[in-house]
Amino acid sequence: MLLPKFEYDEPRSIEEACETLRTFGETVKPLAGGTDLMVNMKKGVVRPSRVLSLKKLKTCNRIEKLDATIRIGACTLVAELIQNQVIADTLPALQAGAKALGSPLIRNLATIGGNICSARPAADLPPALLVYGARVVLHSQQGPRTVLLKDFFKGPGQTVLRGDELLTAIELDRPPANSGAGYLNLGIRKVQDIDIINGAAYLALNPRDGTIEKVRVALGAVAPTPIRASLAEQALQGQKPSQDLFVQAGQAAQQDCTPITDFRGGAAYRKAMTSVLVRRVLETALKQIEK
Amino acid sequence: MKRIIHIRVNEQEYELAVEPNLTLADLLRDELGLTGTKKGCEMGDCGSCTVILDGRNVNSCLILAIQANGSSVQTIEGLETEAGLHPLQQAFVEKGAIQCGFCSSGMILSGKTLLDSNPNPGEQEIREAISGNLCRCTGYQKIVEAVADAGSDYQKGQGGE
Repeated sequence: MLLPKFEYDEPRSIEEACETLRTFGETVKPLAGGTDLMVNMKKGVVRPSRVLSLKKLKTCNRIEKLDATIRIGACTLVAELIQNQVIADTLPALQAGAKALGSPLIRNLATIGGNICSARPAADLPPALLVYGARVVLHSQQGPRTVLLKDFFKGPGQTVLRGDELLTAIELDRPPANSGAGYLNLGIRKVQDIDIINGAAYLALNPRDGTIEKVRVALGAVAPTPIRASLAEQALQGQKPSQDLFVQAGQAAQQDCTPITDFRGGAAYRKAMTSVLVRRVLETALKQIEK
Repeated sequence: MKRIIHIRVNEQEYELAVEPNLTLADLLRDELGLTGTKKGCEMGDCGSCTVILDGRNVNSCLILAIQANGSSVQTIEGLETEAGLHPLQQAFVEKGAIQCGFCSSGMILSGKTLLDSNPNPGEQEIREAISGNLCRCTGYQKIVEAVADAGSDYQKGQGGE
């Protein structure tokens, strides 16, 4: 299967990359892991006349633990999210999302930035990133701007990223001590699968009375974009965690989603399973606090 | 326009002129004649084009040859030495883990990546490690057994040194 012809650039800096994006506009496609772009180019779905490899952007390849935040370079491999000790210790739901993505072969190529920018509704990393309150850093020739991930997605494959911008990093606040998070996915196969539904939850408890001080629930494959389940969050806010409460939150989450029926699953099935998934992922988050 | 790349394949250095749209799989097969790397789906689903690129097993159909500039690649042809087959290759032969052979190079290279970091993997770890490599003949059981067997050979080898 032949790839169409294109020019190839390998910029050494973000500035140089942004200049190319500015000069050539929509005819350029940034290439990170290639697990989506290469496939779409082979299928003829996208036909860039110029490919901008992000391989040499050293600052986009590292995970930094700062005082209050963790900064993940956009070109960080999904495999690295699994192996990295900072991620394992502080962002276990993101690690769980990474483990659920593709196969080892795909995870050795695919990047966190690519998984976000492809903006697939069922992508494995966005739910965990959403519940950690992630922000994305978008660079253009004018400099960087920071956007909340929950405001980044616009529809399947659609984001607020402009043609002259490059997603360079993901920033997350370091979760406090009394918090926990989890990620779960439901698919037909265990690996190399597009999920029927997936989701994540984050809980932070008030250290004095044990009530839920901060909660975020996010779901994938139940709407045109990964979403925050605000009704489920409302059901949980300020309450004391219990099995009954988690069941209620799961039921509330059904009203947050607007799934479609496709060959992977029916809309009614997706809704029903959303309740189960939200309950289980809340249990995972709570278990982590108790650890 | 062709560009010059430098690439190390199976411990041998090459300087090659490549078009930007040439995949690493096509470079290995068509330019270097290393047809042990197979092309199945060419979409990153089947794993028959698996190679080890700078220590990581990857689908060579999803990588541009030009992106591999400065990298080190190991293909199935690089495993056999003058001393004979690699322990994994030997184990695949002995266990009958090869039927049509189309997935074998990918399976062996994914198995090797696992054993290089973990010479004593459990069955689940082996199944996960080869989960991006599809086999339509064997039902995987003999492949899993072969990787486990080769793992014990790895350990024996290390113990003897």
